[in-house]
Amino acid sequence: MALPPDRIDYLPITDRPVIKWPNDARVALWISPNVEHYEYHPVNEGVRNPWPRTPYPDVQQFSYRDYGNRIGFWRMLEPLDKHGIRCCISLNLAVLEHFPEIAEAMMERDYDYMSHGIYNTRFLYTYSEDEEREFYRDCIETLKRHTGKPLKGMLGPAISGTVSTPDLMAEAGLIYHTDWFHDDQPTPIKVNAGKLISVPYSIELNDSSVVRDNHYSAAYFADICKAQFDQLYEEGAESGRVMCIALHPFIIGQPHRVKYLDDILSYIMSHDGVWQTTADEIADYYIENYYDEAMAHAQRLAEASGR
Amino acid sequence: MPAQRTFGMDHPHHEWSPLISRPALRWPNGAAVALCVVIPLEHMEWQAPEGSFQVARLAGGSAPRDFPDYARLSHREYGHRVGIFRLLDVLEKHGVRATIAMDAMTAEHYPYLVRHCLDRGCEIIAHGISVTRMITSNMSEAEEREYIQASLDAFRSATGTQPRGWFGPEYGESDRTPQLLAEAGLTYVCDWANDEQPYPMTTGESPFFALPLMYELDDVVSISHKLMPVFEYEKMLGESFDVMREDGAATGRLMAINWHPWLVGQPFRIGSVDRALSHMMSQGGVWSATGSEIIDWYQQQST
Repeated sequence: MALPPDRIDYLPITDRPVIKWPNDARVALWISPNVEHYEYHPVNEGVRNPWPRTPYPDVQQFSYRDYGNRIGFWRMLEPLDKHGIRCCISLNLAVLEHFPEIAEAMMERDYDYMSHGIYNTRFLYTYSEDEEREFYRDCIETLKRHTGKPLKGMLGPAISGTVSTPDLMAEAGLIYHTDWFHDDQPTPIKVNAGKLISVPYSIELNDSSVVRDNHYSAAYFADICKAQFDQLYEEGAESGRVMCIALHPFIIGQPHRVKYLDDILSYIMSHDGVWQTTADEIADYYIENYYDEAMAHAQRLAEASGR
Repeated sequence: MPAQRTFGMDHPHHEWSPLISRPALRWPNGAAVALCVVIPLEHMEWQAPEGSFQVARLAGGSAPRDFPDYARLSHREYGHRVGIFRLLDVLEKHGVRATIAMDAMTAEHYPYLVRHCLDRGCEIIAHGISVTRMITSNMSEAEEREYIQASLDAFRSATGTQPRGWFGPEYGESDRTPQLLAEAGLTYVCDWANDEQPYPMTTGESPFFALPLMYELDDVVSISHKLMPVFEYEKMLGESFDVMREDGAATGRLMAINWHPWLVGQPFRIGSVDRALSHMMSQGGVWSATGSEIIDWYQQQST
């Protein structure tokens, strides 16, 4: 759309280049646990209050989330390992410094990582451009130092951002942004310089939105994940689709809930034609094979519409 | 104006008319239910102009977020890029032609969608300027007239036709709206959710009608606001239809459903729409029609 913020050209799913995933897979599946730390005593920058329930600290809400790192994360690994899932962690980078056992467990499994900010209690809304540049430098450097991996993408901390975020991400050398929910395939995001794309993350198939915010049962979460897969798997026969399941250890790692993750993965992984991958790999593959074609096709569509 | 304790409605837009006081309504071929699927194609603005009105719980995105809210903006855009095609495919499979409520920003900036909807035989009706600019009584009469004209101008220039129907973004009206819509040359409005049959509105202009939507069957109301599981929503659609079909033997019913492509067009929800329509369309006694077809039939029956 040429409407503000004019970041994404209009490309209807019915009229765009056909995507072929490796080995003719129908669905590129990525699992994204949000490994986070919420500060005990954060600073309220005045836009969004990290702990709105009480004056700081809010021990109930703090410790509910910290449970994810002490208990939930480890329980969540069991079904993930059972099904051989290589995750793409949405990572608050400070976790690498606070909690080395978690860093080690993720590295042992050769996970990929996208930045989810430094802490989940520090949002981008109020950052100046220079502060945001420094933020990307910090994220890139911290990931490299602890894991040896280059940082390629970001889900904004608590899905926060600024109007300049895509430009500054691309400037810092990142290649994908997952705060966009407009498509079942990757799409280019227009930036001042460089190449940036959206890889579809999910606010629909997300234990935090579904179970915590909207109070649905975990059984329902499992049902909709399977229904999503069925639909995308059918459509993916014609042109590859992306499916993301977003998790939070403090939610999915509860004792009464973890079996539904096993249930979801058992169902999906029993199908042929699933490329179980990470957002890093999806982004590399799309940019290598489809970015230029998608941009050119959008341009042709716009010209055909007389604009 | 607070109500005066006298007979009938406390506003001038339509008469008090309980179902039992009306002659029986017959649909074509003795159908019990007229099924009308309304699909809003509405644009969510990055930043709505100052002074424009949005409902407090405007659906989309994840939890309410501060500006810039990439999540909500793009979640809505999903309908325009992906969801609409999935939804229209399912409707087509069941022989249902949609009534598309298209706002001015969509009409102007998505020519592909205008053409696509027309090619598929949908009726397109006007839907204001954007979902982030509602009509309310905060507008002066001049502002409201200007708003309606801007919407109709964009519509005409995108489609080459004059719309017959109107659906305000988020069902928004001032206490003047039906009158102004009739004066602007429109024939029916979908903002009123108070009936299971079309009914005449009293505007003093040429005939003008309400095409009432079923409030609880609106996917935003039940799924987005009330958080109904989609499988329960599917069951509600079927049960609602069964009762209307039975009741429709005595006097025909209108089942007008508002389906947002960014919401029920999501991969995990579309199967529920498909199964609900299978249930409805496989039983006979259903007349699936566009808003104009229903209003034309109704007008012909009632004169």
